[in-house]
This record gives sequence, C-alpha cells and structure tokens, in this order.
Amino acid sequence: VERTIPKQNTNLMRLVYGEESASRSTNSVDEAHHSSEDEESEDDEFFKPKGEGNKKLREGLGSSHVNAEDCSKFTNHANLKNWKEVEIVESIRDRFITGDWSKAASRGQVLE
Amino acid sequence: MAKTTYMKLKGSQNLRLRLLLATLSATPVLIDDIRHDDTWPGLRPYEVSLLRLFEKICDDCVVEINETGTKLKYKPGIIMGGKNLVHDCGVGRSIGYFLEPLIVLGLFGKKPLSITLKGITNDSKDPSVDTFQSTTLSILKRFGVPSEGLKLTIRNRAPPPHGGGEVELKIPIVQNSLTAVTWIDEGMVKRIRGLTFTSRVSSQFEHTMRYAARGIFNRLLPDVHISTYHSKTGKSPGYGISLVAETTSGCFISADTAVSYGRGEESGEDKDEENNELMPPEEVGEQIASVLLGEIEQGGVVDSTHQGLLFLLCALCPQDVSKIRVGKLSPNGIETLRHIRDFLGVKFVIKPDPSTETVILKCVGCGLKNLSRKIS
Repeated sequence: VERTIPKQNTNLMRLVYGEESASRSTNSVDEAHHSSEDEESEDDEFFKPKGEGNKKLREGLGSSHVNAEDCSKFTNHANLKNWKEVEIVESIRDRFITGDWSKAASRGQVLE
Repeated sequence: MAKTTYMKLKGSQNLRLRLLLATLSATPVLIDDIRHDDTWPGLRPYEVSLLRLFEKICDDCVVEINETGTKLKYKPGIIMGGKNLVHDCGVGRSIGYFLEPLIVLGLFGKKPLSITLKGITNDSKDPSVDTFQSTTLSILKRFGVPSEGLKLTIRNRAPPPHGGGEVELKIPIVQNSLTAVTWIDEGMVKRIRGLTFTSRVSSQFEHTMRYAARGIFNRLLPDVHISTYHSKTGKSPGYGISLVAETTSGCFISADTAVSYGRGEESGEDKDEENNELMPPEEVGEQIASVLLGEIEQGGVVDSTHQGLLFLLCALCPQDVSKIRVGKLSPNGIETLRHIRDFLGVKFVIKPDPSTETVILKCVGCGLKNLSRKIS
C-alpha cells in the first residue's frame, strides 16, 4: 500500500493544509490547491495526497476533483496483502493479544 | 433583515460534510458548478434526498436549487430533532451515506432524534449499518455522548439495487458540549466479531463467507465469532459481511462490504462493469478479512473510514486539547481536516510517529455549544 505519510512532519501539515498559512481567505481552499497557475505551480504535484490519485482512478474518468464522489470508505482492494502467508501474518502478531504485550504497550507511549 | 453572506464553494464533493458544518456553524453556503460538465449535470436524487432530510430535522432552513441543479443555496436553520420521523433514503446511496452526517447533526439538536430510515442497508460504497452499530456509535461514546438513547436498531437488511431495508436511529442531544479526548492507545486486538447477511440467495453463502474469513484469522486469534442473518424483506439478491475487531483499550476497527447486481439507471451513475458476475462468497469473506487485518496493521484508534468522524468530533469539542492517533491519513480524512479549518477555524497539529508509522493529531476544539437547546 502506498504511504500517504511523508517522513517529515512539516510535509504532513503541508499535505493537508497546503503551503499557505491561515492568512488565506477561507473560501474554496480546495480550489486553490488545484488551480496550479498562481503561487504553487511547480510544487503542486508534490502536495497532492497520493491517495487522491488512487481514488480518482477508482472512480474512472470524467469526474473532476471538485465533483469527486462523497464517500468516507477508502479501501484499496488492489493492494491487499496476502494474509494467508505466514510471514505477513507474523508481522502483525504483536497487534493481537496472542503477541508480545510489552511491545504493544510501548506503542501507547508517545514521546513529546 | 440583514443581508446574508454566503460562503462560496464549488462542486459536489463532500456535500454531506459541507451541509453538516454549515448547519453546525450557522454558515450559509452557496455551492456552484455541481457536475456542470457531466452528461447528467447537477445534484443527484440522493443528494436532494439528503437536503430533504436536513430540512426534516431543522427548522427554518432554506434550500434553493437552480433549474439544472448545478447551483445550491443553503441557509441553515435550527436543529430540532424530534421523534417518530421517517425518511425514505431512496436507492441512489445506502443508508450509511445518510447516517454519517445525521449522527453528528442529531447531537446538537433541541430534542433527541429518533428517525426511521428506509433503503439500502449494505453495499460496497458506504459503511454498512452493521458497522454503524458495532463501531461508529462507540466512537461517539468516547466523546461523552450518553449511551442511553444512542441506538441503531436494524429491522431489515437489504442490498442494492432495490433496497427494502429499514433501520431506526436514536441520537441523544449533548447537554452542553462534547468532551475532549486523549485517545492514542489503540491496544491489542482481543476479539473479532462479525455478521454475514444474504438476501435472495442461498443461506449457504453465509457459511462460505464466514468460513473463509475465519480461515484468515485462525493463525492470529481464537476469539472470532461471526453470526449470520438471512434477509426476508430484501428485494434484490446480494450478500455481504461486516467485521469488527475490538482491542484491549476499547477501540473498534471495522471493515465491511456487500456484493449485488449493479444499481439501475435511477441514480444516473455509471453501472459497475464488473457486476455482471458477482464475486464468489469465499473471495468476499477472504477479502474483507484481509481488509480488516490491513486496518489493524495501520494501528490507529479508528479505521480509515472513521477518520473524518473522529477529526470532526475533536474539532467540535470545547476549547480543550484533544489528542488522537490514526494510521495513514485517508483522502476523506484530509478533506475533513480542510473543511474543519474553513468552517470552524480549527487547525490540527499533525505529527507522524515514526516508531509506529502512525500519525498523531492534536487540536483545540472550537467550543461548539448546543445552541438549539438553549433557545428553549
């Protein structure tokens, strides 16, 4: 599955809110993201969430972004792992109570 | 009368979220260019049905649609709630599409909401009613929504294209406001529950789906129980499965789908090409079990379908800090974050947690009070 999480946190903020800070007028911000001519031209592709592309593909042609389907479910069936394979199953063993509890507990701690 | 200033928006995207946020924040909206380039321009019947539903629940709201349906003016009113309401959702989208905004809207009403919704209960596009029952409502409880009066009763399950299902939703009102959460421990999966349903096909399909799904979980967890439901009122053949994993910290992670023959022309949508032949039940069971494991692997406190709801509830909290953990940000989650900023002025601090490959979000709520209640 393609990661929509970039490595640095500034990127994540940008990915969601775009380059501009709160100063931009609140109207139709989504438009601003995709009308690439003005200020964000060369970076536009970079800031587009990867998932967005997948979603569009799934919907087929002819649906422009502003008319994207209103749907909260997002499942990429094409990229499902084969959970019948032992190795892949073992990779999430510790997410279950049958796994290592100390490892799971350490996930709950967040470093500030 | 003062002149109304409208927030100008474009396109049909996120219509539910926009109407919901417009109503909660009392912001009139003007939406232009709704599928203006399409062969069938304008609002779809299910979107009009959604507007009617908002009208049913709110007093004094004004909906104006132009002749082609490409332009919509919405001036929100006061959320009233009320008992014994009935809404026919039609067959364009399933009941899940309507439930998603409704469960949040109802919380901020003057009176508790109790409404019967008719239509399609399970399909592949929207979360199934079973997912709402098992997962979605538990997320509301985290934010201090009282569990008395919060209930979804499923009377009949039914797949597309003709529906025939019915559910009753009860939503209590929040007395004052929601409660901010610190919700970052996703825990370990302790049990998996689920339900398969069939409508106008052999009930043997249920056993096949159940067996296939269990086969995937067998190596990981013994505590798996999947019940079955054979619909007697569904008007179309179809079958599906909804699964939910419950963790030691009380998180619920869900996955569901249903397969059936494509919807008719009524919705104006393109028919699903692959639906000439339905996916065999064995594959359906395996697939959804795999989707569930994929969601568990991501390691958020909710699955990707519920990210939007989670962000929204955090933003609607009083002016306290909420802190939550999700897996990969979903496209819908990202859109929700943007709309929350535009309507409520709440911006999240979003930080990746590299050690677990999850994302931690923090925000200070907008302090929305239940104003409808105060008026009385």
